[in-house]
Amino acid sequence: MSAHGFTVLKPGLETTIQELPGRIGYLEQGFPISGPFDKWSFRQANLLVGNPRDTAALECQFLGPSLRFDQDVVIAVTGADMRPKLDGEAVPMWQTLAVSAGQVLELGAAYIAARGYIAISGGIDTPVVLGSRAVFHMARVGGQALVKDQVLPLGPQSSGAPAILAIPEGSRPCFSTDKTWQIEALAGPNDDWLDPAAVEMFFSAEWSVQAKSNRTGIRLTGPEFSFAGRALNKSSDHGQDPSNIIDHGYPLGAVNLAGQTPIILVNDAPSTGGFINPFTVASAAFWKLAQTKPGDILRFRRVDREEAGQLRAALETMTCAGVTVRV
Amino acid sequence: MLYETLHFSPGGDRAVEVELGDGMNFTLNFTVHRLVAAIREARLPAIEDIIPELASLQINYDPDRISYENLIREIAAIYERIGSDVSGSLPSRLLTLPIHYFDEETTACIEDYRKTYPEKQIDPDLLCELNGVENRAALARRHSGTEYWVAALGFWPGLCSLLPLRPGSRITAPKYNPPRTWTPKGAVGIGGALCCIYPDRTPGGYQLIGRCPAPIYDGSQRLPAFRDSLALLRAGDRVRFRPVSAEECAWIDAEVAAERYEHDVVEYQIFSVDQYLDWAKAQGEKA
Repeated sequence: MSAHGFTVLKPGLETTIQELPGRIGYLEQGFPISGPFDKWSFRQANLLVGNPRDTAALECQFLGPSLRFDQDVVIAVTGADMRPKLDGEAVPMWQTLAVSAGQVLELGAAYIAARGYIAISGGIDTPVVLGSRAVFHMARVGGQALVKDQVLPLGPQSSGAPAILAIPEGSRPCFSTDKTWQIEALAGPNDDWLDPAAVEMFFSAEWSVQAKSNRTGIRLTGPEFSFAGRALNKSSDHGQDPSNIIDHGYPLGAVNLAGQTPIILVNDAPSTGGFINPFTVASAAFWKLAQTKPGDILRFRRVDREEAGQLRAALETMTCAGVTVRV
Repeated sequence: MLYETLHFSPGGDRAVEVELGDGMNFTLNFTVHRLVAAIREARLPAIEDIIPELASLQINYDPDRISYENLIREIAAIYERIGSDVSGSLPSRLLTLPIHYFDEETTACIEDYRKTYPEKQIDPDLLCELNGVENRAALARRHSGTEYWVAALGFWPGLCSLLPLRPGSRITAPKYNPPRTWTPKGAVGIGGALCCIYPDRTPGGYQLIGRCPAPIYDGSQRLPAFRDSLALLRAGDRVRFRPVSAEECAWIDAEVAAERYEHDVVEYQIFSVDQYLDWAKAQGEKA
């Protein structure tokens, strides 16, 4: 036995294995889709190491892990700037890095943005649970967050010298440096439960990201919502608060209104519940939510389905094999 | 109340909410499940996930394979074809689950919440008062005196929404405000007109009345009932609660820990919707 993956020296803060497209087809039993929060950075990391772009890789949050590679591999670090070092020497992000068995990769605290990605050639080869290797660590579905001394297996390595690739700066996701973000969102499904002034208010106000935010939801602080007749005069089956509704499905990216607290439901969010969802973030803007930090300010820009489709197409071109260049 | 036509609301660029009516009752939920079954049968390749709920369903779709407009046209056509007729029969498993009413763990959880919110009335007492039930024993009798329809699963892996099938057995309650930060695994709660069993230690908002020691979720699939699925219950199953003493509850806990526990699942029953509705009507008239 020569090749045996890598060993976790320090786990970082809830570092998890993620894979695309996530856990599809199990929402009806209450399993969230999971998968990488910032799909843009995740896919580019995989492309840099020669993997199919949806291959299982690591998602780091706020504080990255330290890993010792136990076989020769190529790796790439993308997403939040966690100042990666290899055997103590700073190494570039957004670029293929050749690593020899025994070398240690160390990530620190996120300096810019919040979530970093580490892709490794061959991909992480943990067991598939309900169709995916993506980890929902809060319910231990697909595994847990990394723990110290854990050894993780890798898939087969391709033979021959690896290509050293990079993502040009113009093709990388652009992270806010002034702590403000513009997030594209659509009205609905339950915008008719708010009064029209509250809908306008949502798209004009500034919303601050709360510290109690994670892979289940981004909690926001901002002005109060006022409600429409539908929310105020309804059958008791809906519940007492104006924001209560008969339990229903929760779309990914929905801005869920619990009382007066908007919570954007993200990858590990509950599949259903009893609160309204007046707005939904465009799927091509989810990656921005992944990179927000507590205290950051979000402004929502209203888009329609057509523009959401254009944003998806633009994101697609940034995460295709053609985006890498040889160094 | 069933709407004349389906109400469609887009949930971003990859999901649509489809409302069939307004209310929490068997007839409406059954119609949701009939529509979901017909959508699945139609095998529209762009559909990725369907979530049936009490009075609505959510469809996640790939917008690069089907437009929102075409998707809702297809769903409306399917609904028109099957109609909103509530009749027929379907296989429906009957699961009998043990419950220890007013047990130590849920009592401790309620007390823990009351340390921060002392004005919170103790859950079983609140339920008795709001539902005109004379005491806890009568509350337990009403709760265990009916079969429940598994109307939906969601919020957390395996978490079920149970609707009482006997008309006189409805117990209603407001949810915790603010919610609890933790709930014991297996706790049984009432929220709105629904009963639920917490599959794991999670936050929650339902009023707690007891604990079910038989797991309804097993991520490691060690017990026989979880051979094919991590979640015990499926929509369309029926559940009955069997009251157990503290001693029997402890025995079941030990059987579960030893990975020997066998759930009481009856697989041979057919649920006749027509006969059920006739019976429920007669029960309602009697009351």
